[in-house]
Amino acid sequence: MSVTEKDYESLVENQWCPGCGNFGILTAVKRALVELQLSPDRVVIASGIGQGPKLPHYLHVNTFNGLHGREVPSAEAIKLAADDMTVIVDAGDGGAYAEGGNHFTHAIRRNIDMTLLVHDNFCYGLTKGQPSPTTEHGTVTKITPDGVAAQSLNPLALAISQGCSFIAQAMSARTDHLVDVLKKAVLHKGFSFVNIYQPCVTWDRVHTYQYYKEHCYELGPEYDAKNQMKALELVLSPSDKHPLGVIYENDRPTYESQVLAHVPHPLRDQPLDPKLAVSLFEEFV
Amino acid sequence: MELNIRIAGAAGQGIQTASNLLGKILTRSGLFAYCTNDAESRIRGGLNFNHIRCSEKPLTGVTNRIDILVALNQDALKALAPSLLPDSAVICEEGCTHPRTAPFNLATLAKEAGSEKASSAVAVAAISAIMGIEKPAVDEIVRERFEQKFEQVNLKAVALGYEAAAKWPEAKRFAIPQGDGVKGRLWISGGEAVALGAVAGGAKFIAAYPMSPSTVVMTMLAEWSHKAGIVVEQVEDEVSALNMVAGAWYAGARALTATSGGGFALMVEALSLTGMIESPAVIILAQRPGPSTGLPTRTAQGELNFARHAGHGYFARILLAPKNIPECFSLTAQAFDLAEKYQIPVFVMTDQLLMDAQATVAPFSVNDLPTSRHYLSPSELSAIETYRRYEPTDNGISPMAAPGVSKHVVVADSDEHSEEGHIVEAADAAELMASKRVRKGETVLAAAEPPVVDGKVNRKTLVVSWGSTYDTIREVKSILTAKKKDFAHLHLKWLWPLQEEPFKDIVSRASKVIAIENSVACDVASVIREIALRKPDAVITRRDGRPFDVETLVESLSREIK
Repeated sequence: MSVTEKDYESLVENQWCPGCGNFGILTAVKRALVELQLSPDRVVIASGIGQGPKLPHYLHVNTFNGLHGREVPSAEAIKLAADDMTVIVDAGDGGAYAEGGNHFTHAIRRNIDMTLLVHDNFCYGLTKGQPSPTTEHGTVTKITPDGVAAQSLNPLALAISQGCSFIAQAMSARTDHLVDVLKKAVLHKGFSFVNIYQPCVTWDRVHTYQYYKEHCYELGPEYDAKNQMKALELVLSPSDKHPLGVIYENDRPTYESQVLAHVPHPLRDQPLDPKLAVSLFEEFV
Repeated sequence: MELNIRIAGAAGQGIQTASNLLGKILTRSGLFAYCTNDAESRIRGGLNFNHIRCSEKPLTGVTNRIDILVALNQDALKALAPSLLPDSAVICEEGCTHPRTAPFNLATLAKEAGSEKASSAVAVAAISAIMGIEKPAVDEIVRERFEQKFEQVNLKAVALGYEAAAKWPEAKRFAIPQGDGVKGRLWISGGEAVALGAVAGGAKFIAAYPMSPSTVVMTMLAEWSHKAGIVVEQVEDEVSALNMVAGAWYAGARALTATSGGGFALMVEALSLTGMIESPAVIILAQRPGPSTGLPTRTAQGELNFARHAGHGYFARILLAPKNIPECFSLTAQAFDLAEKYQIPVFVMTDQLLMDAQATVAPFSVNDLPTSRHYLSPSELSAIETYRRYEPTDNGISPMAAPGVSKHVVVADSDEHSEEGHIVEAADAAELMASKRVRKGETVLAAAEPPVVDGKVNRKTLVVSWGSTYDTIREVKSILTAKKKDFAHLHLKWLWPLQEEPFKDIVSRASKVIAIENSVACDVASVIREIALRKPDAVITRRDGRPFDVETLVESLSREIK
């Protein structure tokens, strides 16, 4: 029986602002999962806190809506315990890059087969308009009346420099392109990271739909996503144009292909046998 | 009969090797050994010692009595000389001036055997000879323990040490009776017993960050990873550790973390998460003195109130406190069942003393350990039309399912949520869930093992304690009973929650209540005030990061018991 969008339909009332970029991401996630013919019971979406991370509630799907910034470690353990599941993490730019910055870095190192989607809107929406790690230097917000003094984070450059095994960028309103990127990300064996631009229609008057229309371009077939140095050059070059598509990928071995190689798995399904301990007494005798 | 040996020297001089050899030799000979260690937080140098109590019966109280000091350097002798008794003997290196020094020295014999590093083998052989253990028993362990290239040197060292000690007339007084010949006892530390307990409890995943004195759990599980089918994850931080543990349980695998106070402080946010999403979790809290970094390699029982109260918002939890090494095994195994049954975090409260101490113990029994899980089975799930993760029930426990084993989806949410697990705001929905969690807390409380008191309480002094102090207090109790200063002893195993009525009943019947805790603030005294509504008449604490010892505790309690 084939999977349809109806299988992912949720009855939960949506709390997002009208016109929010989150809607485009929700639509694309649903479409990508259906096009990949993954049924909701085989998928876990882990998320944190914020407006974007409410996304799994608006789908009928296994959901682990954990803590702000801690969605990645929880998801990593979910995948290690149930490696037969498809694991997606949904986070905002605050959760992924500020509160969860440490976990992001180590998720890149581990390379567990899962997909991290970051709703990047350069601001904190739910807490009402504070700057995020990706907010441009000098941006005036309520708590930075003299402009943001810290330099903005370049998450793509960080990920590329550390050899993250799949890095892509997309824009919430370019649905077809986003669906295509999401499918590639989910199919990639390893830690896939997708930075998704989205307008915050409530707090950000600069990064509007119009802005993204004018400042984004899709990478063409001539672009070589296997070249780490070229990818770094692409994302570090000063430009007001943002590249969309697969920025960089490699085929490093996944973490679980190594750590689960010597243990029966999925860990979830292993029988409970206290006598297992008795077999270990020998070294103490 | 007992023989107390203290092996002292610098970190890296083989103190641990020597006590491991000795412990094994005694255990295999049907005797009993108990080893505690006193170590500085460094890799080389300083003054460390292991204290090994040897007897034909199990003696696992901490004592200061030194019968034989094995000093691996002059500094160790100098530092420990004031602790020696008038009849203590000394085995040392060259140039020792102590009046009761053995007529041989370790370094000379070790050099004669072929390597200065064989000093510990010389010492072990000499002590074995003194106790009356046959030489083949020593050779056997040395052959097992040393790599082939070091075997001959160490066997030679054993021969020389054994021969030299046999010619030491004064040593005759240290002989102990033969062992009972029982085979198969274990020579094991509390930390190793915790790790074995985790295996017996079905742990398949540990996420932890190294921190003394908890690291041994992760180390042992890593060693057994293939045999026990356990994935060991050394995390970037303790924040990640408990969030991972919650993720693993959500996905259906039994998981634990092990840490000490500072690491646990970082886990508190995730602890509250487990409360809200009703996730099981097992947390091995191996205590050491705080605040902050404190004394990393020393012992304390200072986190009772911290563990009891940690986390924002109300949620149920269980604190179990092993009193000895066998309970490190059994309570850790039990923790997994309780965590899964009640879908709550369960703490195993140990400390440096208990984690690092080694003892000769009977092999742990697994016969009484549960062999079934509490998740809904695929067949149970197939009979359900709509699965609701937080379905309200009378006892507050909602049937738990793992994702991926049925057609149902499982939704867990750190926000207040609906029965289905989705984020909610409505007052009645919030009330429904909060009340469900309160009912679960009541269910856990009703299931709590009631406290058991040792001795008659009525109009007598009652000592209240928990955890690693048990064996020392029990020994003190027998000494004071002989001096007509008997007391009743209430040692808490199920530390929290505590059933009010039985606890209050025991405490109220005592003429005097004394709380003993190896901590600065004596948290158990606050538990007594809170649950039994009685202020303890006296508290006995220790603030220096060292364990209570029998001798000091006999003095302190003698002053309190008239």
